[in-house]
Amino acid sequence: MKRIQIILAIVLTVGLITSCQKDFLQLEPLSDYSDAVVWNDPALIETFVNDIYRQALNMPFSIERLSDYVDESHFTPDWDVTNFNKSLMTSDNLMGWDVDWATPYTMHFRWGPLYAGVRACNIFFEKMEGKEFEGVDPDMIPNLYGQVHFLRAYLYHYLAAMYGGVPLIDKAYTLTDEFEMARNTYEETVNFIVADLDAAADLLPEVQADAGRITKGAAMHLKARTLLYAASDLHHNMNTYAPGFSNPELLGYTSGSQQSRWQAAKQAAKDVMDLGIYGLYEADPAPGDSIAQTFVDYFISYGYENEDILLQYFTPKTDEGWAGYNPALYCGPNGYHNWGNNVPLGELVDDYEFKDGTSFDWGNPDHAADPYTGREARFYATILYEGAEWRVRPSDVQGIDPWNRIQVGHVYAEGAGPNDDPLIPGVDTRKGPIEDWNGGKTGYYVRKFVDPSLDPQYVKQDVPFRHFRYAETLLNYAEACIELGEEGEALTYINMIRKRAGQPDISASGDELKEAYRHERRIEMAYEDQRFWDVRRWLIGPDAYQQTHAVDIRYYTNQQPGNYRQPDGSTWGDPVITEIENPGDARAWLDKCYFFPIYRDEMNKNSLLVQNPGY
Amino acid sequence: MKNYLSGWAGKAKSQVLVLLLFLTSFSLLSAQVTVTGTVTGAEDGMPIPGVNIVEKGTAHGTITDADGRFSLEVPADASLVFSFIGMETMEVAVGGRTVIDVSMTSTTTALDEVVVTGYGTASRATLTGAVAAVQGDELKQSPTTNFSNTLVGKVPGLFAYNRSGEPGYDGATLRIRGANTLGDNNPLVVIDGIPNRSLERLDPANIESFTVLKDASAAIYGTQAANGVILITTKRGKVGKPTITIDANVGAQQPTVIPEMADAATYAMMLNEIKYYGNPGGGLYQQYSEADIQAYQDGSDPWGHPNTDWFDEVFKPWSLQHYENVSVSGGSDNLRYYLSFGNRFQDAVYYNSATYYSQQDFRTNIDGKITDNITLSFDVAARSENRHFPTVSQGNSFRMLMRGKPNMPAFWPNGDPGPDIEYGHNPAVTTTDATGYDDDKNYHLESNIRLQIEIPWVEGLSIQGNFSYDKRLRYRKRFETPWYLYTWDGVTYENGEPVTVAGKRGLDAPQLTQYANDDYRMTYNLFATYEHGFGMSNIKVMIGTESQKGLNNWMNAFRKNYVASDIDQLFAGATDQYMSNDGSASQFARRSYFGRFNYDYAQKYLVELVMRYDGSYMFDDAWGFFPGISAGWRISEEDFWSSSIGFFNDFKIRASWGQTGNDRIYYDDRLQEYKFLTLYGFRSQTYVFDQSVDNKLLYEQAVPNPTVTWEVANQFNVGFNSTFLDGRMSFEADYFHNLRTDILWRRNASVPTSTGLSLPPENIGEVANSGFEFVATWRGNSGDFRYEIAFNGSYAKNEILFWDETPGIPEYQQSTGRPMGSSLYYEAIGVFETQADVDAYPHWAGAMAGDVIFKDVNEDGVIDGLDRVRNEKSGLPRYTGGLSANVYWRGLDASILFQGAAGAVAYISPESGEIGNYYNDYAVNRWTPDNPSSEYPRAWNRDNEYWRSQGNTFWLHETDYLRLKNIEIGYTLSTPGMRNAMIDGIRFYANGTNLLTFSKEKLIDPELTSGTAYPLQRIVNLGVTLTF
Repeated sequence: MKRIQIILAIVLTVGLITSCQKDFLQLEPLSDYSDAVVWNDPALIETFVNDIYRQALNMPFSIERLSDYVDESHFTPDWDVTNFNKSLMTSDNLMGWDVDWATPYTMHFRWGPLYAGVRACNIFFEKMEGKEFEGVDPDMIPNLYGQVHFLRAYLYHYLAAMYGGVPLIDKAYTLTDEFEMARNTYEETVNFIVADLDAAADLLPEVQADAGRITKGAAMHLKARTLLYAASDLHHNMNTYAPGFSNPELLGYTSGSQQSRWQAAKQAAKDVMDLGIYGLYEADPAPGDSIAQTFVDYFISYGYENEDILLQYFTPKTDEGWAGYNPALYCGPNGYHNWGNNVPLGELVDDYEFKDGTSFDWGNPDHAADPYTGREARFYATILYEGAEWRVRPSDVQGIDPWNRIQVGHVYAEGAGPNDDPLIPGVDTRKGPIEDWNGGKTGYYVRKFVDPSLDPQYVKQDVPFRHFRYAETLLNYAEACIELGEEGEALTYINMIRKRAGQPDISASGDELKEAYRHERRIEMAYEDQRFWDVRRWLIGPDAYQQTHAVDIRYYTNQQPGNYRQPDGSTWGDPVITEIENPGDARAWLDKCYFFPIYRDEMNKNSLLVQNPGY
Repeated sequence: MKNYLSGWAGKAKSQVLVLLLFLTSFSLLSAQVTVTGTVTGAEDGMPIPGVNIVEKGTAHGTITDADGRFSLEVPADASLVFSFIGMETMEVAVGGRTVIDVSMTSTTTALDEVVVTGYGTASRATLTGAVAAVQGDELKQSPTTNFSNTLVGKVPGLFAYNRSGEPGYDGATLRIRGANTLGDNNPLVVIDGIPNRSLERLDPANIESFTVLKDASAAIYGTQAANGVILITTKRGKVGKPTITIDANVGAQQPTVIPEMADAATYAMMLNEIKYYGNPGGGLYQQYSEADIQAYQDGSDPWGHPNTDWFDEVFKPWSLQHYENVSVSGGSDNLRYYLSFGNRFQDAVYYNSATYYSQQDFRTNIDGKITDNITLSFDVAARSENRHFPTVSQGNSFRMLMRGKPNMPAFWPNGDPGPDIEYGHNPAVTTTDATGYDDDKNYHLESNIRLQIEIPWVEGLSIQGNFSYDKRLRYRKRFETPWYLYTWDGVTYENGEPVTVAGKRGLDAPQLTQYANDDYRMTYNLFATYEHGFGMSNIKVMIGTESQKGLNNWMNAFRKNYVASDIDQLFAGATDQYMSNDGSASQFARRSYFGRFNYDYAQKYLVELVMRYDGSYMFDDAWGFFPGISAGWRISEEDFWSSSIGFFNDFKIRASWGQTGNDRIYYDDRLQEYKFLTLYGFRSQTYVFDQSVDNKLLYEQAVPNPTVTWEVANQFNVGFNSTFLDGRMSFEADYFHNLRTDILWRRNASVPTSTGLSLPPENIGEVANSGFEFVATWRGNSGDFRYEIAFNGSYAKNEILFWDETPGIPEYQQSTGRPMGSSLYYEAIGVFETQADVDAYPHWAGAMAGDVIFKDVNEDGVIDGLDRVRNEKSGLPRYTGGLSANVYWRGLDASILFQGAAGAVAYISPESGEIGNYYNDYAVNRWTPDNPSSEYPRAWNRDNEYWRSQGNTFWLHETDYLRLKNIEIGYTLSTPGMRNAMIDGIRFYANGTNLLTFSKEKLIDPELTSGTAYPLQRIVNLGVTLTF
């Protein structure tokens, strides 16, 4: 009996232990898709392509902006941006540009992340090879091909702009491959990009069912931009900034004519225009229209306007922390509990013309006494300045500023010296009572792209960013025309832009026209990620990287003020506005900065690479 | 069988009855003889109080009083069992006597001690591996709430580092013999025979034994044992009367180190200096005038010019913790039980703290004999862990505390909370429940059924099977509400009083996230043990199999835009575009077959072989075979030894070598599963088309590595154990050399990023780790006075022998040949005192006087990336040790533990300047134009200076320390009067943790590695234990 009990117990226990299935260890991942599943399901393939959008276009407006790295804006927290702007970048350190945790925006403009995107494109091409799908809209697969061709070109166009000629990788490596690869020439790199874009334009429709997807026009526009960049002096006059560099073919063209390249650039821009589907938003303002308001509205509109070629939408639903897109919070004045970053430099603000087309000049006492009156519409649409009327203050600031006017000055007692404390600091300054550490340092804030309809303390902005718009097409076309000597044609299109902005026509020629064009491009495309590359391709680094400027704004009163303004909303007299040097922002240019350095690490890993000059 | 089981159940029922009626049950026993007597110590003849005396086979018994006397009514033919800690247990037949005086001898050696090893036990005398054991009682001396913090300094070879004192997340990182691999270095924890359980929240009162397998002896646990194994057994009932123990204590905690920060005047002046360095033409008072500085200094204007000590405003001087435990144990031959219920609470350091930890736990271990040969054990442990936090993380609040500007108010003079340091954060508010709450409840259920069968017809053969089912449920609720901070515009007054205005911060409306986890882990094993002796030889064979599998599920749900904060339930949130949910699952499975063979000749020559055949779901080719061998020689048993070197009681040398497979591929903060497959996963982010349609993003997680396979731990150990001077002194030392091969790591350093590859783990790394440890113990007594002193020390240093190194980097930058975790730093060699100093030495572009000097390591006249040198130290100490002493005198007992560690560094880089305050040390000693220094740099702003943004040794602090880790003093009272009232004894005790620290490091606690970690706590604790 006892023996039976024991045997029973053993059998039960052994049975329990071994009662499990044979493939006990063969588990399936519960949250991932296998290779075979993905590449046979067009819906999953589309989500794979969507991810390349994210890798290529990334976050155009995270806490830092490309404008902070050029003569458009100042990044208030500084980090290492100042050092970048002093040309201190080395092959070990890109100075702020490569601080991963802080700057996802610039992080993606880097060798590694850009090539990771390239790999995703190459995987797509390899996996799709020979694939047939049944029961799928026959246009879907070619459409996806077109998008991926564009995205690869987009990634390479940044690589080319940063580094010049780069290794052209068109396959998806496996672990056992040989990884070392030399840089292709700049010419080969441009040709590769253009070939991808031509393929994309062939495959893509003019209008996509999903707004925000790449269209034929977007591919053609990027081709025009790429060819314009390629035709520029940066890629032809290597001797001026990198004399004696052993591999000039990595930086630009060493044969052929620049004129033919301008011709190609012109033609590519013309091709976009000839599509006939784009135009300028509110191209022909009627008398009495608020042109400034038109501009403000355009940049915070949600839908595709006739001017839009490629938009990128954002969602407020996902909180991505500092990696997210939220210009309202990042750029808004601290007196709104916003972070006051990317504030316009005096240099940019001063470049806005008066309404009559004349230039602003601090040397002109009338201008200096009243700098913010009578400026052109784009000034009011782009810049927040002392006294500018803006959105309603948050409830706890309404007592300080019931008039909803930007306060970037200080109220002083009559006869106060330059180092005396103000009686009342403006609420949007670094001495104000609201988040003084967030106040901008230049006396200005940016208005363009900032959606005033929400309280960004609590709500994230979600208006789309306009990667490509038709105004750039026209400017690209005009620039090529100028360089080809076709000045009349150029003026026609520059004046289209000016007309929409409410500015009088220009009629310059020669170098004067070139300057006028560059000025127009700077103003029209401010904060749109153009200037950084323009400064480089025009070889005007030394002009753009200098001591920057700000304004000091003071009111004097002999009364005991209870507020920044008088109870009736008027100021304590006229402000005394002085142009001052923006402390701590003395920028400097070294010619090595026309290109980025390849990281020392990457050089070590790939012995075939040649470093850019100066690093 | 059925009939039999009901009989068993009937017995159990009657035992429960006994348990419930234990008080009255004594009187039911018959009384034939009243035995009286005195118990004395054999060595000194002094009476021993507190000796436990039980009538054999019953629960009936008593305890000796302060004079060692006892009195007990028993049947005339009964036997009495005398037991006392540290003394040999004795059994005396009454034989009709009425007076029995007993002389007890102390336990001379630990040789008879039985040590828990994998799948069985071993006698300490014949053990051949490097095994350290601690008795549960020793672990109760520390008043820390987290069990992992009681281990430091107690066990040679076990390194424990505490990186945070935050209630609920204050566990120590445990490392057996330091770090061995580039991946996961955590040891395997096995509790009551079941692997992968957590030890942090165990109640020390429930722990019977604590064993660490440090060398190849851990190999029996295979798959996950490469980093060593910690074996814990919990208490079980012993045959005897029911003993009820009630333990309660209450303590006060306070931070060991509170950083000293600059005051308002100094801070304001430093900001002025920053302005001045950027614009020397503007003079020294560009931001704050001399009058401002004066006002910050003299405190004349608390509204306009406050001088705030943020830590003082946020930290209360003492915070509370308390602990209660009730346990009942006892049993008969057929049924033994141990039940325990515990409760604990730990408050945090903040005023009005939203942070606290509380726990309720329950354990029942029951052993029942079904027949003489079959024992069925049934263990259930349940635990509820409650963590409560503010919605702002500890890390964020401490970052803000460090950044707290002394010239800003934490509170306005009228009591309103001051403005934020950034984005709504004022730590005086965000550490309270003003921002909502984050309530995290974890429910653990650990169960095990064990069947032990001794095969009656084969002597020495036994079979054991375990079936364990562990379950964890988590229910977390995070309710975030807007909070209010107050600003004053500097000019508005009402009735002469400044008027503050409330501003809503953080959120516009409340929002709720609810999280649920449902996990289980199932373990079953079966193993047979056969022991046989023939002649002078003994063999022991064990073979078995074990399988473990588990599944983790999680989901969460989110809604925002609550109309009101009164109802914190999901339904009350808005059903708008923002509401969302998420969820996923993961699973694992491992199986192995193992065997162990022991042979000894006359307990003199000892050999052990271990084999394990492991299978893991982590690999395509799942299976791996790993052997181990160890041997020992007890020289003291040899005739030549015992006749010539008499004072040794025991001397054993031993050596072991073994291999263990490791499948824990861990990097980027997560387990990297299925790396042999090409897998695509969704990103957490989305991409939007058509204005508002979120689209999923699928990406290639990594290129597959089809050949990914086991990492191999090769462990070599040689050591000896010795006891001498009549067992009073023992000394044990070990040297080890571990070689980890086929380490799973990525080739990130050599594969160009132009490939775009996201690399999988490959079996490429090789790390050696070697060191030694020792423990020396001295036990002595003099009259009533007994004491025990133990000193242990450990040293471990690892070296990367091979891994993926970037080609072409100079030798002084390579990590190969250096310890893991070595980082590249510029070498700070002082501060440029003058501009002439700057001009005289290679320097960073733009360097000025007051900047840190970086050494031109390669002497090329340029400071660049090639001047960085790999520093061999990391956050892990190389030396650690403890000195403990226990003394007993009559009813008094005391214990003390000093603990120290050396060889670690911490990179302390505070966020200072416009962004936040400075450590006072840096502030008062700083370089200024008037007071130049060659040691301390000038005022800096954020990371703008090169010596802030570039990692350099200026910020690297050595964190060697020695501290009074624990101290405990107790007094046990046991009088006849109490015993008449059924109270066996009452013990009052006081203990403390981290009471004294000696360290060069003053800015932070030397055990921490970051200035923004929650500080470690100094605890003073009072308690009472009642036994009846």
